[in-house]
Amino acid sequence: MSDDGSLFMLALGPAGGSALYWFLYRYYRNTDKSHDFEHETAVVAKPVTGSEAKVGDVKGTREKRISGDNVHEFRQRVQRIRDDTGRTTSDKGSG
Amino acid sequence: MSTTNNPPPVPPYTGPGSPQDVPPPKGASPIDPATLPKPIRDELQAPDPVAIDTSAAELKDGLNHCPKCGATDVRQKAGTDLLICQFCRHEWNAQRVEEEFGLGEGIDKLEGTVIASGARDIAADAVNMMTFKCTGCGAEVTVNTESAMTARCHWCRHVFGVNEQVSNGAVPDAVLPFHIKKEDAVARIRQFVDKRRLFALKAFKQEFTPENVGGVYLPYMIVDGNVSADIAGKGEIKTREYTSGSGNNKTTYYDADVYKVARHVDFTIDDLPLESSKARGNLDTKTNTNNIINTILPFDTKNAVKWNASYLLGMSSEKRDQNVEQLRPHLEDELLSVARAQVEKSVNKYDRGVRWESEHLSVHGTRWVSMYLPVWLYSYHQPGANGGMLHYIAVNGRTGETMGSVPVQQWKLLLAAITVGTVLETLAIYILAVTA
Repeated sequence: MSDDGSLFMLALGPAGGSALYWFLYRYYRNTDKSHDFEHETAVVAKPVTGSEAKVGDVKGTREKRISGDNVHEFRQRVQRIRDDTGRTTSDKGSG
Repeated sequence: MSTTNNPPPVPPYTGPGSPQDVPPPKGASPIDPATLPKPIRDELQAPDPVAIDTSAAELKDGLNHCPKCGATDVRQKAGTDLLICQFCRHEWNAQRVEEEFGLGEGIDKLEGTVIASGARDIAADAVNMMTFKCTGCGAEVTVNTESAMTARCHWCRHVFGVNEQVSNGAVPDAVLPFHIKKEDAVARIRQFVDKRRLFALKAFKQEFTPENVGGVYLPYMIVDGNVSADIAGKGEIKTREYTSGSGNNKTTYYDADVYKVARHVDFTIDDLPLESSKARGNLDTKTNTNNIINTILPFDTKNAVKWNASYLLGMSSEKRDQNVEQLRPHLEDELLSVARAQVEKSVNKYDRGVRWESEHLSVHGTRWVSMYLPVWLYSYHQPGANGGMLHYIAVNGRTGETMGSVPVQQWKLLLAAITVGTVLETLAIYILAVTA
């Protein structure tokens, strides 16, 4: 077996143990739960509009996803563009 | 966030009109509007945000009379939205605020900020203790609105309720009566905990008495909104996937096209609940378990009835301490999250994901109604550092949705994790030894 494979096998114990710990901890304490207001509130939306333009390409990356992928992280705030003065602020944190 | 072109930080906002300055008294203007040009004058003299008046004239004296016999011993008929007179057994139905004030209508035409009368700002000098003069015998009866909205005259047994809309934030526009009965709530809590006993704190299990569950009306702002959002970022579509190397040294590489993506969505949102008590709105799971109460949302707020303190008989209540403007940043944050969820499907073709980099929200109009929502709450205080932790198990008083935080016995949990880890590790070493 290769070195990579051996390391992977040896990591199985600590990884399995801590995975079990966090799984049980969350099951008891439910610290990861909150109101799913994005989906549990009545929202009536008009069809989504928008634009897209190719701006470049990536060759030979080993990453499976775009860096900083946040398409499913609805509550992760990004740079907020304000109306009033046109100034921008960077709001971080989760709601 | 990995935005690469963040502007330099905006300097702290100081000077006239900044939040640091003492605001001028309401309605006062240093310049007489009559001397100003017409367009400015028109703006200054335009009406203030509309307040829907939900205060009920017939309940002003604090006594809630039976419409048939006039007795004041009125309470909610368990499991229904009906009120029942304990004296003549007459039953009647309170009006639903949804139809009464037209709250479900015209959300797409909302403009500006519409605030129902019970959601108005809390007066700075408002007091929690309210004293009523009993019209039956003249005695003075005090109600502490911090935790209760009803009291019984100790002399003549008249029942008082705080029905007039006092400016301390304790009287909401509407109340959603309990449907889940206490026995039902106890059974649900027991069922919830029975599934979490193995690693539960020993003291918690020993002291577990779900019969001590209490019914509490918690304060919420129910918000309708008419908004638009723009979101922009980068998305990638995979064009090629190839592997180099052989055997165990294979590496997979990807080629992708990068796109600049922008999305716009207009939407209306109906009855979004926001905690209007500052303590409850703090969902930091490191210091409290308020997220448990947050999780049992939503409620069928469409069925809320016009405020009547009789629904609160025997239940406790928590006073609202947040005003509309204090809750607005939280609302905007949630609206942006909703917008992001709405555009999610429209970027499905970017199979390597999308990195949203900027977002913009235009709130065209909002409507705020304050409401008491029914929650069965069981609590357990776990001693520890910094005052310990208060664990809640909460049951939605309408839907019965149950969620809770059960304190864990750390050593048991660690022992279980280490045992499983050791077994896995032994297996791994055995396999390695065999295949070597």
